[in-house]
Amino acid sequence: MKKFIITLLLICLVLSFTAMTGVAKQLKFAFMPGIADPFYFTMEKGAKAKAAELGVELIVGEYPKAWGPEYQVPILKALVARGDIDLLFTAPTSTEALIPVLKEIYDSGIPIITVDTYIGDGDYTKPSNYSFPLAYIGTDNFLGGEVVAGQLALLLGGKGKVFLENTNPDTSSVINRELGFRAGLKIFPDMELVGVEYCLDVQETAATQVGAALQKNPDLDGVFGVNVFSAQGAYQAVVSAGLEGAVKIATWDATETLIEALKRKELSLILAQMPGEMGALCVEWGFKHLTEGAEIPRKVIPGFFVFTQENVNDPEAQKYIYK
Amino acid sequence: MTELNNSFSINSEKFGKNNVINILGKNWALIFLIFMLILFSFLGKNFFSLNNFNNIVLGVSSLLLLASGETFVIISGGIDLSIGFIMGFVCVTTSIIMRDLNAAGYSPFISILTGSLVGLLLGLIPGIINGFLVAKLRVPPFIATLGMWGITNGLAWRLCEGFPIAFLPLQVRDIGNAYLAYFSSKGGFSFFIKPELTERKDILSLLKIIPIPILLITLILVIFAFILFRTKFGQHTYVIGGKVDAAIRAGINVPLHLIKIYIISSFFASAAGVLLVFKLNMGVHTQYTSSYELFAVAAVVIGGASLTGGKGTVWGTVIGVLLIGTLNNGLMMMGLPIFYRYIATGCILIIAVLIDQFFPELVHKE
Repeated sequence: MKKFIITLLLICLVLSFTAMTGVAKQLKFAFMPGIADPFYFTMEKGAKAKAAELGVELIVGEYPKAWGPEYQVPILKALVARGDIDLLFTAPTSTEALIPVLKEIYDSGIPIITVDTYIGDGDYTKPSNYSFPLAYIGTDNFLGGEVVAGQLALLLGGKGKVFLENTNPDTSSVINRELGFRAGLKIFPDMELVGVEYCLDVQETAATQVGAALQKNPDLDGVFGVNVFSAQGAYQAVVSAGLEGAVKIATWDATETLIEALKRKELSLILAQMPGEMGALCVEWGFKHLTEGAEIPRKVIPGFFVFTQENVNDPEAQKYIYK
Repeated sequence: MTELNNSFSINSEKFGKNNVINILGKNWALIFLIFMLILFSFLGKNFFSLNNFNNIVLGVSSLLLLASGETFVIISGGIDLSIGFIMGFVCVTTSIIMRDLNAAGYSPFISILTGSLVGLLLGLIPGIINGFLVAKLRVPPFIATLGMWGITNGLAWRLCEGFPIAFLPLQVRDIGNAYLAYFSSKGGFSFFIKPELTERKDILSLLKIIPIPILLITLILVIFAFILFRTKFGQHTYVIGGKVDAAIRAGINVPLHLIKIYIISSFFASAAGVLLVFKLNMGVHTQYTSSYELFAVAAVVIGGASLTGGKGTVWGTVIGVLLIGTLNNGLMMMGLPIFYRYIATGCILIIAVLIDQFFPELVHKE
């Protein structure tokens, strides 16, 4: 009899527990990345870790194979069509084309955070047709450009001639890096920007352009290549001129390819964004907003991490590599 | 050059009085190139130097190969739009093979050799398909090769997922960026091996003589220029492009010949892809690779070929490519922004076609 009562009590306990967990609804967040690349993979990892910590279920949309609304929007629509999502954070692939799409999702009752990229001009504080997202969490490319300028100046002892190898004159992110770099250099009176070229993501072109810059300015001290193609092209030109080590090359984004190049001393510094941090912040702020009604800052900018040949092998630096 | 000289004499007999105009019209691209070299030497700082000329030819080396292959297709009256992406596809495949074999512990020699050979062979497949579609199934070349443009782009993209393929054996770059000889005031002449210099002044004054890739490209071009000018195969190519009916009446197997032409074009594109791996030490394929075929067509036309077929030379194409390269480099050294350089290249292309339109009897060999 005693055994029977204990069993009965246990069953009741288990049943009530199950019922309770059924009542306390688990939050479901959706993440819609911009493109299949290590940057967003790292962002997902950061978001997943934070979601597990807070007990949030994270649903990740299929990674678009190419950049652009025509690839992203269909996947995004399918993702929110499930109907049980409490919050969406996404990297809009167009500042304009994604406004109506996200507005529709927002109107259906799903709060939105834009991460890494934004809609409109990214300023959600003033009223506009794109000010509905809770927040923009992402990098400030201008600020990053300034940081690179400062770090490069530091490497060169505050004095020298530098060249900027950019990719596309029509892409806001890299243009902001350029503007930031120019602004950052102005702080150092002895640093001179001797030229800017655009390689359209063709490494061979970047090599030719930096080669010509080296020819024109034999005393060139540094190059800022805004992405992997421009940085590797710059290095190729420097090797071709036999000036390895004498000309410092700075670049952006800590992909494994670039980290390896830094270890081989082909590059001198890499500015890493913090995609993992961005993903984690989205989940954390979203969770606080939905559970505690916390007011989220409309713009959150995680910092940067600067990789150099000295710190690239440090154990604590490894987490900033995009994987 | 001898061919050109021969054609001078043929034309000179016809237009005895207009000898000067004749030579000018026929060689306007070469004359313009020389004019630019002189102009930029005065205007651009450090333009006239061996190292800068190396930079120019290395910068257009892929284009040189692509345009030479395209020359054959255009002479035969067709066009091949797929070469830019075939180059990207081969570049990615070759580097994946090199990377994986290297990672699996094979010697750099085996990895590099296997990667290059497999890449070259795989690159022939699009050419075979292009040729079959054009010659046997009568698909217009523009459409057939545009289809292949999409297929090779998709394949390459799928293989690399938009990322550079890195971690190749380091010897790849050492080979791709080597020179035949070096001369420094300190160490004198040395062959293949770059002298160790520490002073920046010495490094900058080091003379680098003939880049290895350019040496190999020149060899390939001489062989194919010979095929085009001195063999039956070459003559048939001109006949097919000029008057296809006459070619058929003369008993030329036109479909088979066209298939061979598209394979040649594909071979040049594969060679450009493998070359790219050696130059970059990476496998790279981006959507911008596709602008290459257009510049290749432009170079062929500037070099005196006609898009209607039957006319053109490998030598002319080389001039066309060098003209584009020199114009770009020279304007860059003068500090002109990229936007204006595009405009300048566009203008030169239009001038080329205008000369072709208005003075066909001067420009083309009969």
